[in-house]
Amino acid sequence: MKSYLSRLRTLTRAVSALAVASVLLVQTAQAGTFMPECYKPGLGDTGTIKHAKKEGPYRVALVNGHTGIPWREQMIKSVKVWAAAPENAKNITELKVVSTGSDVAAQIAAIDNFIQAGYDAIAFIAVNPTAFDAVIKRAKQAGTVLVSFDNPVDNPSVLRITPEWIEFEGIIKAQSVVNQMKEPKGKILEIRGIQGNSTDRDRHLGVQKVLAKYPDIEVVEVVGNWDTGTVQKVTADAIAVHGFFDAIICQHGCRGVTNAIKATGHPPVPVGGDAENGFVKALAMNDIPGISVSTSPGQGPVAVRAAIALLQGGEFPALVNVPTPYVETKDMKPNVNYFPDEPDTLETVTGYAVCGADMVFTPAQLNAQSADNN
Amino acid sequence: MTAFLDIHLRRNNRALLAWLVLGGLLVYFLYIHPRGASIGVLSAWANQGTALAFLAVGQTIVVLSRGVDLSIGPIMALTNCLASHLVNGGPLELAFGIAVVVLAGAVCGAINGIVVVFGKIQPIIATLATGAIYSGFALIVRPIPGGSIDEMLSELTTGDLAGILPSSIVMLLVLVCLFWLPVSKASLGRSIVAVGSSEQAAYMSGLKVDRAKIAAYTLSGIFASFSGLFIGFQTLSGDPSIGLPYTLNSIAAVVIGGTALTGGAGSILGSIAGALILRTIGSLIFFTGLPPLAQPLFEGTVLLVAVAFGATRLLRINNRLEVFR
Repeated sequence: MKSYLSRLRTLTRAVSALAVASVLLVQTAQAGTFMPECYKPGLGDTGTIKHAKKEGPYRVALVNGHTGIPWREQMIKSVKVWAAAPENAKNITELKVVSTGSDVAAQIAAIDNFIQAGYDAIAFIAVNPTAFDAVIKRAKQAGTVLVSFDNPVDNPSVLRITPEWIEFEGIIKAQSVVNQMKEPKGKILEIRGIQGNSTDRDRHLGVQKVLAKYPDIEVVEVVGNWDTGTVQKVTADAIAVHGFFDAIICQHGCRGVTNAIKATGHPPVPVGGDAENGFVKALAMNDIPGISVSTSPGQGPVAVRAAIALLQGGEFPALVNVPTPYVETKDMKPNVNYFPDEPDTLETVTGYAVCGADMVFTPAQLNAQSADNN
Repeated sequence: MTAFLDIHLRRNNRALLAWLVLGGLLVYFLYIHPRGASIGVLSAWANQGTALAFLAVGQTIVVLSRGVDLSIGPIMALTNCLASHLVNGGPLELAFGIAVVVLAGAVCGAINGIVVVFGKIQPIIATLATGAIYSGFALIVRPIPGGSIDEMLSELTTGDLAGILPSSIVMLLVLVCLFWLPVSKASLGRSIVAVGSSEQAAYMSGLKVDRAKIAAYTLSGIFASFSGLFIGFQTLSGDPSIGLPYTLNSIAAVVIGGTALTGGAGSILGSIAGALILRTIGSLIFFTGLPPLAQPLFEGTVLLVAVAFGATRLLRINNRLEVFR
């Protein structure tokens, strides 16, 4: 009888625990994730990420890989601008920025050093998507929050922030280019990025998906390596071989396209490209129809803010797709979408407006910062 | 071991100097590190330098024979990619995988040696060409980064021993003792150095010049495979482009370690110190806040100073013709 009673008690306890757990589960689902309009869950990934809450203010590190790229330099500057704003500075005791170059061992060591030094959070752009599993494990053991952005790691236990490339290049860019053509037929030049890179693969897939709907469109593919000089060369070569294109879709380094159009005297046709000042300026000032689609260096502060929100107990989708800002030629305005007095390499979309007013920066604010380590 | 060290130090005061510089840099690094001296910091520091140190050892052996191995980075990448397929599963599979990876490194190295010796092609051209081929194979084996490598081995090799010593450094020294020490004591090792010092004299003395050269490149391939394996333990994956920054840095480490690029004189231990010096400078740059773009400038300057320092022996020579001996 006694054992029966105790078993019953265990059973009731288990049932009530289950009930409490289910209530908690519903609550989290209702409470939702941190700033869902900015940190949208990525396609095909339903997991969420949450860390144990820590008291602030925090010590935060930013680990960049490749150096000498204007986008990366602007990213570092925007993180510094954001972190210096009083409402954000109160949460940060120290912000340390390092750029490690292309050597994966150096980047792993940099993250290890920050973990060892007891930093609360580390945001990083991985030089390689697969090499960080061991260091991610060490971060977890030490209780350090990691946020991977731009080129995210393939590890679902880390918050990853990236644009949705298929939508970015396809539904937004390619579709707009087709819509701006006189009629959806003829030859389109597609200028791709670095071969073997997963971003190039996804962006190409996006273009293919959209263009598959138009049987009268023929696509010519060339490889521009996301580099302005290479893009200009391959565009000029393609124009020399094919004579005329009805539209051009370019991944990155698209100032090369407008340069080549100018150099070869090719008539203005719709061009889809990036958001570098030089490219947007060329579209707007020469009345070339087209669209500028941006992956903004503002991803840096978006990632650092996420790291701090994680430390404060916020919940995030495990894979976040930042919204994609874009503007078509007819809507481009000086000193909003392009900056006549700034260098061609400036990324015109300095931040993600939907992510809050503190996420958009003026060129003057950025120029006041340096991209150096500190 | 002490006798081995003793001989090396007496013969090669430049290697000793490299170790002193390394010691100074390491103390300074631990001093400015926010965490200070701890086994975790030391392990991260050692792990960062070990892959390069393995390559520096391989490169030194080739340089001692008056050659140079520009394919050492590609061999490292190829073996790293192979490891990401093979070094996984049960103990038998692991042993088999590691054996195949090391064998692949040895074969690549032997091919280099054969091309240099029988093709009668300058080492710099021969290994540049074979390096391109090995890079191609690495891309075929693993077109984009990925794969997986045994986690237990990773923790064993990148962690620490009893909380005192970084296991990567211990593994490095053990493998050098196993693979280079016996060779250097035998006639084969003496032949490698003799060939580097003066090929004609070595030939006239009846040494097997061809065999010595092929052996030097093969050993270089073997150490490159250790490097590929270790970077695999560090990253738990394979990456075909991982070797890119390593070839030049391995040569820099050799020079900083006091080995003459003209062959015939130098020290493996010096090169290990050279590799660790390069990496420590990199880490110091983080914590001292120097701009990242200054890192290559700094490394280049260190290299130049080291080479210039090596040339100071010219000042002590009475007859200028001695330089050409």
